Amino acid sequence: MTEASTSDTSAQTATDEPDAVDQADGETPAEKPSQPDTDLLIREGDIAADYLEGLLDILDYDGDIDMDVQNDRAMVAVSGSLQDLVGQRGVTLEALQELTRLAVYRGTRVPSRLMLDVGGYRDARRKELAATARNAAEQVREHGELVRMAPMSAFERKCVHDVINATDGVVSESEGEEPDRYVVVHPDTD
Amino acid sequence: MRKPARSPEVVRPALEHLVRGIVDHPDDVRVRMVNSRRGKRLEVRVHPEDLGTVIGRGGRTARALRQVIGSVGGRGLRVEIIDNY
Repeated sequence: MTEASTSDTSAQTATDEPDAVDQADGETPAEKPSQPDTDLLIREGDIAADYLEGLLDILDYDGDIDMDVQNDRAMVAVSGSLQDLVGQRGVTLEALQELTRLAVYRGTRVPSRLMLDVGGYRDARRKELAATARNAAEQVREHGELVRMAPMSAFERKCVHDVINATDGVVSESEGEEPDRYVVVHPDTD
Repeated sequence: MRKPARSPEVVRPALEHLVRGIVDHPDDVRVRMVNSRRGKRLEVRVHPEDLGTVIGRGGRTARALRQVIGSVGGRGLRVEIIDNY
């Protein structure tokens, strides 16, 4: 196990948001938690990697694990053709990410926003959703009416919001309850 | 690429590992394979203080464990968290 040195030089440590695990996907663009220090995020990646490596070993799956820190988040990527750890539309990946965040929490006692990817699934899905979001934006601008998109996971909705945010003339928000929560794209009336 | 479902003999320690990693009392985690007429199931026992963690709010964590185990071990394998002491 790699132990990152946890120097307490950073003035702002992560806040104790009770719901941080639930909201950890940061779907709402406005949500900006205080900046966690890099040492903590590196430690998150190390704990996650140990947890996942143990699982791969037991299952006799081949995969390399890479850790990184991006946008104030620990990112852990397992490479390899491991469709069983991704599942239909990423459901197994989301489940494994949730367990991995809990494993990290056990080590750090700080709710984790760690993002897990397996076999490049998230990048591929982000590209697909960007195309879908651009189509929806086009449709909204053409007809001036709102478009309701299909139910999506928090990660998927975030991918859509990111594209809509960067597109003139349209705005987006999420509606409905999990697991059927979906994105609505509106004309930007301002 | 989809791999053949892992045998219950492999899935049992995999589940044990997943549970041990998230609880405060990893040494108290026991996962037992039970053969019944309705098929095989994995029974998970944890320290009473860890029960809430393993089940999660609204059963969220238990659902995540079932999802991962179902995905690697095949749909026929059930996961049961034993909560009576």
